[in-house]
Amino acid sequence: MILATLALIAYAGVIVEAAARATSVAALIGALGAVGVLMLVFVLWRADDELLPWALLLAGLGYGLSLAVRHGGVAEGAPLVGAGLLLCGELVSWSLDERFAIEADRSIVAARGGALAGLVLGGVLLGGLVLAVAAAPLGGGLGWTVVGAAAVVALLGLAARLSRS
Amino acid sequence: MTRIDSSRIVAYAGLAAFGLVAGLVAGRVELVAVAAPLALAAVVGAGLVRDPGVSATLTLDRERALEGDDVGGTIALSSAAPVDRLELYVSLPRELQLVEGNPRAISLAASRTLDVALRCERWGAFAVGPVALRARDRLGFHSWEAVAGGAQPLRVYPSAETVRALLAPLETQVFVGNQTARTKGDGIEFADIREWTPGDRVRSINWRATARRGELHVNQQHPERNTDVVLFLDTFTDVHHGMRGTLDMTVRAATSIAHRYLQRKDRVGVVSFGGFLSWLLPESGTRQLYRIVDSLLQMDVVLSFAAKGIDILPPRTLPPKALVLALSPLLDRRSAAALLDLRARGFDLVVIEVSPVPFVDPGAGELAQLAYRLWRLSRESLRMRYEQAGVPVVTWQDGQALNVVLEEVTAFRRHAVLTRA
Repeated sequence: MILATLALIAYAGVIVEAAARATSVAALIGALGAVGVLMLVFVLWRADDELLPWALLLAGLGYGLSLAVRHGGVAEGAPLVGAGLLLCGELVSWSLDERFAIEADRSIVAARGGALAGLVLGGVLLGGLVLAVAAAPLGGGLGWTVVGAAAVVALLGLAARLSRS
Repeated sequence: MTRIDSSRIVAYAGLAAFGLVAGLVAGRVELVAVAAPLALAAVVGAGLVRDPGVSATLTLDRERALEGDDVGGTIALSSAAPVDRLELYVSLPRELQLVEGNPRAISLAASRTLDVALRCERWGAFAVGPVALRARDRLGFHSWEAVAGGAQPLRVYPSAETVRALLAPLETQVFVGNQTARTKGDGIEFADIREWTPGDRVRSINWRATARRGELHVNQQHPERNTDVVLFLDTFTDVHHGMRGTLDMTVRAATSIAHRYLQRKDRVGVVSFGGFLSWLLPESGTRQLYRIVDSLLQMDVVLSFAAKGIDILPPRTLPPKALVLALSPLLDRRSAAALLDLRARGFDLVVIEVSPVPFVDPGAGELAQLAYRLWRLSRESLRMRYEQAGVPVVTWQDGQALNVVLEEVTAFRRHAVLTRA
């Protein structure tokens, strides 16, 4: 129950962040977020994680929408939004794992919590690194686009390999 | 081990790729930054694929236990690689419980021995194990499942109730035992005095009676003989509520009675009369007790519509002059008829009715109540039929001491003798 609540809080945090930064489309972002929350509640209630990626995608779309209407410089909070989505997904998954009444050593629970914290922190740092690299005067152009495309291909390849195995 | 991947790695990879494409198309680096943690999770998840190769061996300290005992055992675990979270589930029948909790999760470095304690909550012949294993990485991205350890046999014997007084059969057998026979012969228990006849031993002369009557008189004794007891168990039906039921009570009573009779050097046999017919010829001794209890552990209700009578039993299972102690819920017509047939053949029969009434819900409706009352009446009628045939029938309710029931039979028999006199 605690994990599920924390997951919902993380999700709500992302939605609030997106809506606060773009008040003109706050209602639309709120609607997307509400649907996403309903999906998360369904996932937690039915212990079926099929809708989890869709809920995360809706939150991501909401944030993308807020970026689209936003004027000004780079949003520094983007890595935190990504980390929030990751945290939400992991907490939901952990909550579903804990549905089975399995007596576990306290050290195992602590180890998973630590690993999750490390993963989220690493995600924030990586996101921050991306923003830092973008802000640095390294020049733009085709090279970065190729790097981005290669990353996309690598991720899709990884997803395809894992979904096949 | 069978590997199972969490679907969320694929989801993270897909979402990250979507974010990167959106960032590239829209030219917004923030979207790439949002995608970065998800991409990192996908890569970390993919990197955690490593089969730990866990194996387990389950051993129990002993193969036999008494109801209520705790049986110790060990699960020896080993793995090729460290496992952050290993979930274990020992496959157990509901009559056995693991004291430490089942399932449980532990961490495993390379090898580890887990001590387990099994609480035997009810009698029976069980198979403990195998052990189901699930190894997971620290973040739960991948899991590996296997079944190991095999099944270990465990026999849990029912706890025997202390039976103080046993039923004395009407007739004894020819072998030496602890039961005082009704006949006269060599023994310890004084029976009568009679006139001396040639061949009588001098030491049996009753000198007081001889002096008083002026003729030689000798003492007569009741010899100590053994008896044959056949436990006739009706296993056609079982009415139960939870773990308690008529079959459970039957097995417990049979164990206690067999134990006590065998202690008295009597010969005890068992006939399980039900869908599945089984028997043990009357024997005496400790080995016979183990044979009986082992056969009782296997006892179960097998649905059968085949008409069965006592003719199908081998003749030696029911020796002449044997006391037949029937334990029956008196629910199946076949067993009821078989018992009346036994009585008609002259067997010394006692029926202990293992009452199913406490386990039956009478129902709430008027019709259900009427059916319940009719059912109780039909049972009364059946009991009357037995009593008219000279068979003592006593009802044994759940929670009642077996001693009370046996005393009731003794009282019935005593009353019957007085009436005849």
